[in-house]
Amino acid sequence: MISLLSIRLNKAKGRMDKVKKLVIILFSLLLCGCSHDMNRREIDEINFIHVMGIDYSEGEYVLTAIYSSSQGADPEKGSAGDEEISEGKGATPFEAFQNLKLKNKKSISIANTGYFLLGERAAEKGIKICIDFLSRDETVKMESLLFITRDMKASDFIAESIEKGQMVHEDLEAVEQKQKELITRNDNTLVNILNELENNMTSGIIPYLIAEENSFLLKGYAVFDKLVLVDYLDMDTSSGINFIKNIIRAYPIYLENSVGLSISYSKSHMKSELENNQVKVVIHLDFETMVKEISSKKDIFSADELKSLTEQQNAYIIKIMKKATNYSISTGIDILQIARLMQNQHTRKWSGIEEDWSSMISEIEYEFDVKSQITKSFILSTGG
Amino acid sequence: MNRISSEWIRKLFEKSSDVVVRSIKINQNNLTVHLFCVDGLINQSLFDEAIFRSLKFDPYLSNCKTEREMMDYLLDGGAYHVFTIEETDYKLLLKYVLSGMVALIFDSEEKAIVYDIRMFEKRSIQEPSEENVIKGSKESFIEVMRMNTALIRRRIRSEHLVIEALSAGRISKTDMALVYISNVADLNTVNKIRELIKSIDIDNIASPAFIEEYLIPNKHSLFPQIMYTQRPDRVAANLSDGRVALVVDGIPFAYLLPCQLPMLMQSPDDYANHFFIGSSLRIIRYISMIITLFLPAFYIAATTYQSQMLPVQLALSTQAAKQNVPFSSASEVIGLLISFEILIEAGLRLPKAVGTAMSILGGLVVGQSAVAANLVSPAVVVIVSLAGISGFIMPNQDLSSGIRLSRFLLSVLAALSGFFGLAIGLILLINHLCSRNNYNTAYMSPFVDVEERNIKDTLLRFPIKYFTKRPNDIAPVNKVKQSEGKDG
Repeated sequence: MISLLSIRLNKAKGRMDKVKKLVIILFSLLLCGCSHDMNRREIDEINFIHVMGIDYSEGEYVLTAIYSSSQGADPEKGSAGDEEISEGKGATPFEAFQNLKLKNKKSISIANTGYFLLGERAAEKGIKICIDFLSRDETVKMESLLFITRDMKASDFIAESIEKGQMVHEDLEAVEQKQKELITRNDNTLVNILNELENNMTSGIIPYLIAEENSFLLKGYAVFDKLVLVDYLDMDTSSGINFIKNIIRAYPIYLENSVGLSISYSKSHMKSELENNQVKVVIHLDFETMVKEISSKKDIFSADELKSLTEQQNAYIIKIMKKATNYSISTGIDILQIARLMQNQHTRKWSGIEEDWSSMISEIEYEFDVKSQITKSFILSTGG
Repeated sequence: MNRISSEWIRKLFEKSSDVVVRSIKINQNNLTVHLFCVDGLINQSLFDEAIFRSLKFDPYLSNCKTEREMMDYLLDGGAYHVFTIEETDYKLLLKYVLSGMVALIFDSEEKAIVYDIRMFEKRSIQEPSEENVIKGSKESFIEVMRMNTALIRRRIRSEHLVIEALSAGRISKTDMALVYISNVADLNTVNKIRELIKSIDIDNIASPAFIEEYLIPNKHSLFPQIMYTQRPDRVAANLSDGRVALVVDGIPFAYLLPCQLPMLMQSPDDYANHFFIGSSLRIIRYISMIITLFLPAFYIAATTYQSQMLPVQLALSTQAAKQNVPFSSASEVIGLLISFEILIEAGLRLPKAVGTAMSILGGLVVGQSAVAANLVSPAVVVIVSLAGISGFIMPNQDLSSGIRLSRFLLSVLAALSGFFGLAIGLILLINHLCSRNNYNTAYMSPFVDVEERNIKDTLLRFPIKYFTKRPNDIAPVNKVKQSEGKDG
């Protein structure tokens, strides 16, 4: 009986081995057969778009793509070639993208596109349609950054920069680096913006760029209401938003008594109260600064002077934050995303006020609770 | 049935010039014994001094009346040599003499006395060429089995150390020694190995593969399932853990069984250094294994299918490096991997001096020229070189070869379907390694079992004080290696 069983087991094992081999052979054939449908493209047959500009002009969308050409590339050093521009036009951004693909000698890929520039006119037309086709591309890099080009088309912004001899994507990298030095996170990533669109946050802010002589300057935020561009904020108001959003990494403070300070630590949080349809938001801010410059002969490190300096720097930051809150109150645009705060902190009550929210924004009462201290002053000299 | 007689032996070896059958007349009674030996395998001076001198000048022998009387006297110490046996079986007699012993044949008794005075030219004990360490023993095995077993015995002075004699090969009759510690090793494993060796029915054990292929349970696997080492100290350490060693005459290393993958990633240096250094070296080895196995396939997949996975700067520099190269990434990588194997093979076959020149010519000149001629991109040269160098970090050459072949398969899968193929290859590889069973132990043990104690000597080399237990599946009976709780 046992020997019969073992013979059967051995036979079954032999059959299993055959099945295994058959599966492996079939699988290999399947892989071979499918390889052509797997988007097989050699890396040198692709033009990687580094920067893409999106514009709306003369009733159609225009996409401007910058990619490296093989000309000027050094294979031994592995350095990329010169920047080349290509343009595609269409009734929608997707059509324009298809047009761009057709015009290009090689296939193009937005998988490595690090920056999208949205022209002013396209932003005024509405941001959703501009980035919808990007959100549906499985290769797009979700951490790529979106900027608005103030007062000009993205294509002009790009063309002028190249004319001036700038490497657009390198200069944009420099802008990103500067952004990272000042704030702890970039909220203008594609994933973040798509997320805000998904959550029906119709008011929003995206950084805007202006072209300087040989570089780009990040001046502040462009304001979107109902997903269209409505305004640009100045630098102080934009910084105020950053303080309130708790994303400040470093910030310089210039006080009137010739003392320059730099914020080394900042933490803020907002608390909201909702009574009788009246919203009150308390902004708590705690920050630390270091003395960076003293131009007067006064000894500022005495206890009284330090206290006075602390009060001054508190007032300075409150003033900046007030610019942001005042803008929100005066325009009725929820640039501080208070709606999200209310949703989170008053989940039950939110449904009752959601419909009236746009009218309530201008009536929000803001209160500031700011604490700070001056630390690590590195007293090599007291300035005397 | 053949009987032991000088006539028969003379006839048997009449065409063999190295076999000596010489008659020696002992005394006035016309008693003659016949010397039977192989020229070149015996210690001539010892023979003259200890045996021949006794035969010619011992007065007691001269007075012996019969061959039996002479034999009894010689067996009782009449000749000045310790290793003496009486032999009646002609097959064993032939085996002894052909392995280098000397026999005195007594025709009328149809018996022989065998003296073990073997001595043949052999290498001296040298430093291990593959497993050399800075801090540690410099001894390595040589081709003489008995010398090798002596090196092991010198390190384990226990009465439980068993050195069991075996032989295999119908014609070669190669001597082997099955070595184990009887109160530590799993005797089931010992019995199984013994049976496997006895089942070897081949005329000649010509090379190590003739042994290995009979002992490994999964013959189609690319990964080594039997470990070899040149170092007696390593054998001793593994015997203490409960493993079984096999020493084969003519092979300058010993086999260790059962073998697991983590064991192949260990080097004697790990234990010679501080445990932090030992652990760092281990981690580097595992990282190197991943690099050598996956880097070429990863490059193919990333440059042919999923280029979006590469960071922007890397994608651009890779693209720039590949400009003007007429071949696909897969052809480049696989072609260069094959060239790399050719270079290794050529380097092994050539004399050392020419080999160095060939390495320079092949590696530098041809490589540089191929890049300059746009036949391969510099990135591929870097990838293949990095994979090649990482492969050489493996402490075991069999493992290194297995990995080298596996990376070809993974590269082909990546060429067929990118990261999807690579993932499939990885799954098949993990499945293959994890499903191997080697003498009732998992090949990937302790990664695939829950024996926490064994993990202390795998990816990291813990301090010696933590090695308190032997691996359970290897030494199931005697598990305690050292007493716990002693901080050293």
